[in-house]
Amino acid sequence: MFNKILIANRGEIAIRIMRACKELGIKTVAVYSDADKNSQHVQFADEAFYLGDSAPKESYLNIDKLINAATQTGADAIHPGYGFLSENASFASAVDSVHVTFIGPSSDSIRAMGDKAESKILMKKAGVPTVPGFEGLENEKDFIKAAKEIGYPVLVKAAAGGGGKGMRVVNEESELSEAIQAAKREALNSFGDERLLIEKYIADGHHIEIQVFGDKHGNLIHLFERECSVQRRHQKIIEESPSPLLTPEIRNRMGEAAVRAAKAVNYFNAGTIEFIFDPKTSEYYFLEMNTRLQVEHPVTELVTGIDLAQWQIRIASGEKFPFKQNDFMQRGHAIECRIYAEDPSNGFLPSTGKLLQFIEPHGPGIRVDSGFAKGNEVTHFYDPLLAKLIVYAENRESAIQKMQNALKDFIVHGVVTNIDYMQAVLKHEDFAKAKISTRWVEKNFNDWKPAEPELESLISASLADLIFVNQKSKIENETDPFNPWKKINNFRN
Amino acid sequence: MKTTFNTQTIEINPANDGYVATLENKNLFIKIIRVDLQNGKMDVLIDNKRVIAHVSSDGAKRWVTINGETILLTKTSGAKQGVRHDHAGGLTAPMPGQVRSVTVSEGDVVKKGQTLLTMEAMKMEIKIQALMDGKVKSVFVSQGDTVEREQILIEMED
Repeated sequence: MFNKILIANRGEIAIRIMRACKELGIKTVAVYSDADKNSQHVQFADEAFYLGDSAPKESYLNIDKLINAATQTGADAIHPGYGFLSENASFASAVDSVHVTFIGPSSDSIRAMGDKAESKILMKKAGVPTVPGFEGLENEKDFIKAAKEIGYPVLVKAAAGGGGKGMRVVNEESELSEAIQAAKREALNSFGDERLLIEKYIADGHHIEIQVFGDKHGNLIHLFERECSVQRRHQKIIEESPSPLLTPEIRNRMGEAAVRAAKAVNYFNAGTIEFIFDPKTSEYYFLEMNTRLQVEHPVTELVTGIDLAQWQIRIASGEKFPFKQNDFMQRGHAIECRIYAEDPSNGFLPSTGKLLQFIEPHGPGIRVDSGFAKGNEVTHFYDPLLAKLIVYAENRESAIQKMQNALKDFIVHGVVTNIDYMQAVLKHEDFAKAKISTRWVEKNFNDWKPAEPELESLISASLADLIFVNQKSKIENETDPFNPWKKINNFRN
Repeated sequence: MKTTFNTQTIEINPANDGYVATLENKNLFIKIIRVDLQNGKMDVLIDNKRVIAHVSSDGAKRWVTINGETILLTKTSGAKQGVRHDHAGGLTAPMPGQVRSVTVSEGDVVKKGQTLLTMEAMKMEIKIQALMDGKVKSVFVSQGDTVEREQILIEMED
């Protein structure tokens, strides 16, 4: 087993991994940029290593600096988290080359699945269904031709992509050129690779993904699905397991397809096979494989009972995964809401600022994976995810109720969040009926606005000005033991 | 004490063992049950209805959460009226970030909805588009510039 693990990430996921390390008795190293010197992940770690400037290129995306941090601190393994360098094969190779263990799959697996075009070809060979489309197109003419052949709407997306970056839905030919340019720029910026692929856009598709997990000894199983169709700008905001859409037969078939997909690239460690699921035909198509731990891994942890982060570490150290497919089942229902610092009534623009208040909910069946606390600064340098709120209950209906109540108790001031927006989503009857395609949010909540101030909020704000200020001065005057005036008062009395 | 939030004015004065709030020609009696300064939490009775509110202040801004719903209020009384640049024909940065490209120059005639400039913030591309048909009066930034929130990027004229 490892002695010390460096976590090449920040925010909630860095803390999640450090927790797993601590439980396994492993020392932790945090890395941080200028913007993060007071961040929670830095405080949570056993030691912290300064990387540099806040810009990701100078810190969390800088391979040389991270490798140097690992050697300087004597870490024997690096966990990449998600995002940043987690799916960068060169990073995995660089880590290997200095005899530090990369906690994740092999660089070959990352490379094979990282290229969306190549992975699609691989999947076709392995007998995994894929979306009709084209790869390896160069100029705009070819794209126009391909789009025509596939039929609009089409999706252009980064060949090296993921997470909705460098991805555009194109409804008609006139939009194609600008979409290609924008997707290319985003792709180059996010992944350092501007190659795009084009495919059929399945309009009312659901995003259903299968968690897989394997060791370095050839054992690989799946851990069922997560339904992640509630998305804004192609980015998930609510995930759940099980999916209300799947029958046991389809679930099994998808699970088996996912295992085939992962085995085709000799996969080990935690990975996710994303499928687009057509509810009309119950057909599913391979979208991509995420060769890392997912943001939404907690819902799988809650319904299956496995600690994915811990097992990632254990199998990276060479341990055998002792479980068989039949050892796992889905029990109850779990839902995750991603709490983002963003303004849903203003195009989901990220909101920055100092957290004036940050109170997390507690209670039976409530889990909060958070990366922030009151007083922390939310900057524009990184992803605006503040925390993940995950609930677990015996069935979907109870889980929704639990989530609604937990969200009520999540209080964030100082930045605009999507909490109230998610309440509106959870309250919608389509959500209760699980009639949620990946475009559902866009179709139903485009005009969402936060509530207008009511009498009670006006009174509270005004009252706060009066009594908080009074209370503060009262405390300062009466209970401050170091207040020199107090002595004088006492003396006089 | 008289305060205006957004467009509504409210007056609060101590009375008996509580306060009286006056707004929209209504008087409401407020009794404080408890105050938790650390969490910015107030537990009060407003006309005998129990209200638990979390309130934070930041300059003129007030964040109020009641029953899970968060409202952002801006104290406007006494404060100078800010210049609304978007109304004056200026387009401002919606958030801090970097200018990726400027696609127009001074004197260009543009159509409503046309992309004038793209910014990048938090790894996202943000398009700044013309709010109306018109002419570009001035361009204040160029490619690669780092801009602050509300900073004027481009000024337009009819």
